[in-house]
Amino acid sequence: MQHRKWPWKTFIFEVERMHEISYQQAIIEAMVEEMRRDEAVVLMGEDVGTFGGLTGTTVGIIEEFGDGRVLEMPISECGFVGASVGAALKGVRPIVEMGLADVSLVAMDQLVNSAAKMNYFHDGIASVSAVYRLWSGFRPSGGAQMSQSNEAMFAHVPGLKVVMPSTPRDVKGLLKAAIRDDNPVIFFEPKGCYALLGEVPDDDEVIPLGQAEVKRAGTDVSVIATGIMVNKALAVAESLAAEGIDVEVVDPRTLRPLDSGTLVASVCKTGRAVLVQEANLFCGYTAEIAALLADEAFDALKAPIKRVGGAETPVPLSPRMEPLVVPGEAAIESAIRSVLG
Amino acid sequence: MSLSPRDLKQLFRRLLLIRRFEEEAFRLAVAGKFANYHGGMGQEAIPAGVCYGLKPTDNTMITHRGLGVLLTRGVPVGEIFAGLYAKASCPTRGRHPIFHMAAPDLGILAGTTMVGSVIPLATGAALAARIQGTSDVTISFFGDGSVNRGDFHEGINLGAVRKLPIVYFCENNFYAKSMPLEASTAGGSIISRAQGYGLPGEVVDGNDVVAVYEATQRAVARARAGEGPTLIECLTYRWTPHSTAGDREFARTDEELEAWKAKCPILRLRQQLIEAGHASAEELDAVDVEIRHEVAAGVEFAEAAPYAAPEVALENVYL
Repeated sequence: MQHRKWPWKTFIFEVERMHEISYQQAIIEAMVEEMRRDEAVVLMGEDVGTFGGLTGTTVGIIEEFGDGRVLEMPISECGFVGASVGAALKGVRPIVEMGLADVSLVAMDQLVNSAAKMNYFHDGIASVSAVYRLWSGFRPSGGAQMSQSNEAMFAHVPGLKVVMPSTPRDVKGLLKAAIRDDNPVIFFEPKGCYALLGEVPDDDEVIPLGQAEVKRAGTDVSVIATGIMVNKALAVAESLAAEGIDVEVVDPRTLRPLDSGTLVASVCKTGRAVLVQEANLFCGYTAEIAALLADEAFDALKAPIKRVGGAETPVPLSPRMEPLVVPGEAAIESAIRSVLG
Repeated sequence: MSLSPRDLKQLFRRLLLIRRFEEEAFRLAVAGKFANYHGGMGQEAIPAGVCYGLKPTDNTMITHRGLGVLLTRGVPVGEIFAGLYAKASCPTRGRHPIFHMAAPDLGILAGTTMVGSVIPLATGAALAARIQGTSDVTISFFGDGSVNRGDFHEGINLGAVRKLPIVYFCENNFYAKSMPLEASTAGGSIISRAQGYGLPGEVVDGNDVVAVYEATQRAVARARAGEGPTLIECLTYRWTPHSTAGDREFARTDEELEAWKAKCPILRLRQQLIEAGHASAEELDAVDVEIRHEVAAGVEFAEAAPYAAPEVALENVYL
């Protein structure tokens, strides 16, 4: 994916040049630009060559970089995730396309026991500089093993960083940061975000890991949401604005390390918190945020913290069952109204 | 590739160093000086023979049994004891078991606890050599208990399909903890699995250090020449239980142990050196005295070494 080139760019100062692309295209741009920048960066995974990846995000990459840096892997997730860790310890910087987030569970031993621990074992003299890209969340007609949002499992593990961007700009800037990071990063790409369009800077923007963003400022209630739920929360916020309800939407963007300061500041300002995730709620990621707010924003709270998330069930096949299982705008809106009393 | 008398004497020294280390480590663990020890006594010819002739830039990755590899790659014996004592004077700094020790300047990458999970990691180190265009070779050590893991299959398959510069090195001591090979491994043969991956496979007398050295050198030469991996199966036997944590190993018999003790790799090389006139018994005894001193000094070093501050536990979780 080429940047649009602006011939007059050099004559314009203090104007950020932007181009509009999809979330999916932003991922391709980030990887291509990083592979051009640093020849230690390689791409590994199933069907990442001419097939273009299960996610369609490796299209055209093998044509530019060849099979020396785009490494097609056999279907053997323990094998190639383990190999990515070993290669990283020798200075390679692998981007590993895992395909479905569900598939990452096959390689859980190598991700949790090897990738997450090897920086500790090597004590700073070698590092696992690797990114594991997981295509996560609900997909119509996907079913129980193609629709999971398993970010909480990884966010629990010391040694792993976990990222879940919600917009094209964020996914590009955060993927670049993840590739440049010297720790293993589990990079969640919610399927619901893939087709979203958005403005992305032409310049090399790297968004640091561990920085939340207030996506919409408001005064009445803080909605802290992750992944595709950020976009749903923004839509709800717009519709409630017509009623005079002023919703703040905060996106942690990086789940570990968490930018707790931005979240706590938002809730201290509004006094109300609704936490939204796509995954089922039990032991889910927003439970950690609820604990944080109970600890650090308790005195500011005017209402109990409310959580919105998926049903406690494997994700079913039929799209007709989706509204019952995947949180939608109605559930977010209802939660906001309940904390406003 | 053929070994000079000087090489043989060097190998003898290394075998003996590993033996005296193993004896002492076992004794100290039983005495409660440190938590648990997975002894490698009886299997010394493997680390000694494999690592002799490797370049410092070649990688080795071990499992929980195989500290001889650390010794023969150049980690001082005192440092290893300090690691076993969980003290600060070892790269592990008391934070993790000694087999997770890393010393990249000596070609040592951290091994893993999960049996066999090191095989894909080692395959990745070999993949890095391919990507970076170096001539470095990786030796992936594992035991017979690994060969029924998916990681064995996935790692070797990946190494074979990409013809990576790696040697898959199985130390077959016939028991995975207490499980006898014939009860765990379908087909009854480890080496026959090489054929399935289209790899050359070689069975070696793992108690003959010269045979181990020569087989390794053949495999390393193939790997360096870009001809891909080799699977080597070394037949050997551990003289001590799986670990000092009180394992009960019903299937192992005293007769079996005695038969293997008669094949002691150190006695064999000693006889060979004396019969060939390369060394006198007195000369070799003097080496033993020297090594006993070296090992005793290593223990003293570890006993005197400080413990790391508890806060060290929190360092380098993230870089």
